[in-house]
Amino acid sequence: MTGVVTGGWEFVWAAYGITAVALFVYGVTLVTRLREEVSRGLRERQRQ
Amino acid sequence: MPETVRSLSRTPFVLIGIGVALFLFGSYWGLFISPPERFMGEVQRIMYVHVPTAWNWMLAVLFAFFCAIAFLFRGDLKWDARMDAGLEVGSLLAFLLCVQGSIWAKPTWGVWWDWDPRLTSVAVLLFAFLGIIALRRFVDDPTKRAIWSSVATVIASVDLPIVYFSVKWWNSLHQQQSTPETVSSVFYIPLRVNAFAIFFLMIGFIMLRSRIAALRLTNEVAPPPLMAEQAGEMA
Repeated sequence: MTGVVTGGWEFVWAAYGITAVALFVYGVTLVTRLREEVSRGLRERQRQ
Repeated sequence: MPETVRSLSRTPFVLIGIGVALFLFGSYWGLFISPPERFMGEVQRIMYVHVPTAWNWMLAVLFAFFCAIAFLFRGDLKWDARMDAGLEVGSLLAFLLCVQGSIWAKPTWGVWWDWDPRLTSVAVLLFAFLGIIALRRFVDDPTKRAIWSSVATVIASVDLPIVYFSVKWWNSLHQQQSTPETVSSVFYIPLRVNAFAIFFLMIGFIMLRSRIAALRLTNEVAPPPLMAEQAGEMA
C-alpha cells in the first residue's frame, strides 16, 4: 500500500460519460415537453 | 419545430449552447491537459466535473428556496413555476453529484457509498426534493399545490447549510472544501471553466423548465371550452 491511487481511467470516463449523457437527455426532454405544452396551448385556444 | 416554439426567447438555448461549449473545453482540459494529482492520480480528474456540479447544485437549491419564499410572500404563481424548475434541476444535479461521488469513492475509499454526514445530507435533500416533485403531481388545485410545495421546499432547504458545514462539524470521511490556498494553480482552469459551463447549463435548463411550468399552469387554469363559450354568450 503506497497511498497512491494508480490507474482508474475507467472511473474518470464513467463520471464524465454519465454526466454528459444525463445533461443531454434532460435537455432533450425539456425541449420535447416545451413543444408539447405549446401545442397543447394552441389546441386549447383553437377549441375555444 | 412549431413556429410558436421558434418564436419564444432564444436566451435559454444560447445559454445552453455556451454551457455545452465551455463543458467540452473544460473537460478536454481536465482530461488531457491537466496533470494527474500526486496521490489520487488520474481519478482526481473527476473533481473537474464533481465540484462544479456541487457548487451549482447548491445554487439550484438556493434558487428553489428563494422562489418558495417569494411565492409565500407575494402569492404570484410565476414564483411557483420558477420553484418547480429549481426543484427539478436541483434534483438532477443532486443525482449527478451522488453518482459522481460514488464513482470517485470506489477507487479512493474502496466503497461505492458510505453513510458519511456529507453524503447522507445530500441524499436526504435529493429525496426531499423528489418527494416534493411527487407531492405536486397529486394536488390538482394550483394554489394549494404552490403553498404546500413552497412550505415543503423551505423546510427541505434547511438541510443545505448542514450539507455545507457537515465536513467541518463532524470528522467526516469526505474531504473539506477546497480553497484557492489548498488547490494548486494547475488545477484551476478546468475547474473554473466547468463551473461556468454547468452554471450556464443550469440557468438555461431552469429558464426552459420555468417556461414549461408557466405554460402548463396557463393551460391548467384556462376555462374549459364550454364555459368559455357560455362566458362569451353572457358577455
